[in-house]
Amino acid sequence: MKIKLELFGASRDFSKKDYLEFNLKEKSSIKDLRNEILNFVENNFKGNDNYKKLVQSSAFCSEENNIVSDDYKITKEQSIGIIPPIGGG
Amino acid sequence: MLHAKIIDITKEKIDLNNAQKFIASSKCGASIYFVGTVRDQNNDKKVTGITYDSHDALVIKSFEEIYKEAETKFNFNNIAVFIEHVKGYVKLGETSIIIAVACKHRSQAYEFSRYIIEEIKKRTPIWKKEHYEGEDSKWLKGNPLIDQNQLK
Repeated sequence: MKIKLELFGASRDFSKKDYLEFNLKEKSSIKDLRNEILNFVENNFKGNDNYKKLVQSSAFCSEENNIVSDDYKITKEQSIGIIPPIGGG
Repeated sequence: MLHAKIIDITKEKIDLNNAQKFIASSKCGASIYFVGTVRDQNNDKKVTGITYDSHDALVIKSFEEIYKEAETKFNFNNIAVFIEHVKGYVKLGETSIIIAVACKHRSQAYEFSRYIIEEIKKRTPIWKKEHYEGEDSKWLKGNPLIDQNQLK
């Protein structure tokens, strides 16, 4: 199942594009996606601690624009946004 | 009555006149304008500008939620609120956010406006990348939107 991860804030440093793509097993959860992103950081940025912390402290946003918890089951191919700690205004 | 919008700075300008037009009403005796601008110093660094990033749909949803919460909390009548935030690169001294509030009385306008900006700071998905003189640009640390206990 292909998931397009839309990048925001500091997570934009993960790629020159504004998204990353992951292949997840059926019935995966946000927790599984988070682990896949941590693996990506491990493999592409030598386990950069700041990037790992960023992933661990990020929320995720479903295609329906809801913030979803780690238990949320991803039931179809979709775009999911990674929402790092925020601080605008 | 609420107006909420993200302004893509590459396509249009943020304009205080639009706020003034939106909140103008003879039913209101007090108007407050909060204007956030880019300042030249942060944490002893010389700032040259800020790039704002935004999850547009979530930002608008957040503005609407904050407005509704404030309506319930304060229970004032005849309120007009205008909120616009920019995304993209903003130079020193330029505007990043406008919050305009019109209410019947001044105390109401101050309370409502203050509530909105403080809640935006806490939970609206907008990010800042600061640019410095002679140093690498840096994304600023912010508030996590998740309960860290759920990860333990």
